[in-house]
Amino acid sequence: MTGPAHIDDLAAEYVLGTLSTEERVAVSARLQRELPLQAAVAYWEKRLAPLDELAPPIVVPIGLKSRIDHKIAAVASGAIAGGSVVTLDVHDLQRRLRHWRTSALAATAIAASLAVILGAREMVRPPLEQNFVAVFQKDDASPSFVMSVDLASRTLSVRRVAADVPSGKTFQLWIASDKLGVGPQSLGLVEDRVTEVKKAISGIDPSIVQNALFGVSLEPAGGSPTGKPTGPVFHAKLIQTSG
Amino acid sequence: MLKLFLSIVRIYFVLTVSVTHSDRHGSGAKFCGDYFVQYATMTTAQDLVRLLQRIALKETAAFSELYEATSAKLYGIVLRILVRRDLADEILQEVYVKIWERAGDFDPSRASPITWMATIARNRALDEARRSKPVSLEDMPAGFDVVSEAPLALEMLTQSEDGQKLFDCLQKLEVEKREVVVQAYLHGLSREALSKRFSRPVPTIKTWLHRSLAQLKDCIGP
Repeated sequence: MTGPAHIDDLAAEYVLGTLSTEERVAVSARLQRELPLQAAVAYWEKRLAPLDELAPPIVVPIGLKSRIDHKIAAVASGAIAGGSVVTLDVHDLQRRLRHWRTSALAATAIAASLAVILGAREMVRPPLEQNFVAVFQKDDASPSFVMSVDLASRTLSVRRVAADVPSGKTFQLWIASDKLGVGPQSLGLVEDRVTEVKKAISGIDPSIVQNALFGVSLEPAGGSPTGKPTGPVFHAKLIQTSG
Repeated sequence: MLKLFLSIVRIYFVLTVSVTHSDRHGSGAKFCGDYFVQYATMTTAQDLVRLLQRIALKETAAFSELYEATSAKLYGIVLRILVRRDLADEILQEVYVKIWERAGDFDPSRASPITWMATIARNRALDEARRSKPVSLEDMPAGFDVVSEAPLALEMLTQSEDGQKLFDCLQKLEVEKREVVVQAYLHGLSREALSKRFSRPVPTIKTWLHRSLAQLKDCIGP
């Protein structure tokens, strides 16, 4: 099912917008590397674009532009001002992360660039040996959460980057390690997109935290009713950023 | 000569729409006036290309001009798909941040500037609609059932060469199948939503889409 006809169906439906989430994500990932698919998508984008004429212009609410300017300034200056929503190019972030993982400069690069994500406070603090980050992603195309761990102060913070909360649902953070017993243990809810969530991990030995698997799952509002993840889970392990 | 006439008609149409909307939002005459001037002075693709080139050099004045010239258009596209204004507001912001960051990637030999921007807007809106769509079209408040409008006036398409071609080829599809394609594009409807809307099983919708799109491609050509 990878012949030209299939690629064309896929590209046409991708542009038309009728694919499911999973299919869209799969096509987005393939578009990064498959030239025939890129060409087919470009064909349909151009051919169907005249349909945009059928959506009449609608005046944008006043004030939106200044919010955009604010975001751009925040991203450019490397500091996220309080209350602004984090906007990141997820593909770019992914590419850079992959690169950094294999690079000798990994430590400084991630520390410097993730300062944008982690906020000004972390940025101005001198790097410790015990800072880690983890990127949660459901699949190849979408990093959804970025978590940073500071073992010195025993805090971790999770920032929702590209995941949206369906109504009546909440995200829950988990830690799993065979040294912590069977199955994941809850570290609490990740409720807000805008502000950082700080969770104490003081009760857990740093070496366990360092090697644990972390997960974020989608749960009913208020958290998992069973004490274990019940919804789709995003997993991540820690990457050391300094030391 | 005909082209010139058409573009005048088009500018007039855009102005009529924007003034109507401004009135509805209770804005004053000054706002309408500003809007008028901005739209009237920013209709050519060449202007947009130049603005994008300046934005690639991080010129904020060019970005503001581009926003004034295109935001209503992109907002219309995003809002059609997302329906909810709060979502559309958020997505439109992300779209413009992306345009700011990606302006250097824009290649005028591959796409028109407005198509390039509209594609960014559509993709972002579609991702959002699929990911968190809490309102199905059936759940929409009364009076907001945009899909149940009379068949769309596709004649609007005939203003451009590509549009004329698409219009001619769409006309060759059966009425219902044509509506499936057009509604899917405009509202970002999934196969499931189309199935409900047109009271046909999902596999039928899928088959229709593939056949209609193949037929369109045959008609439009490479």
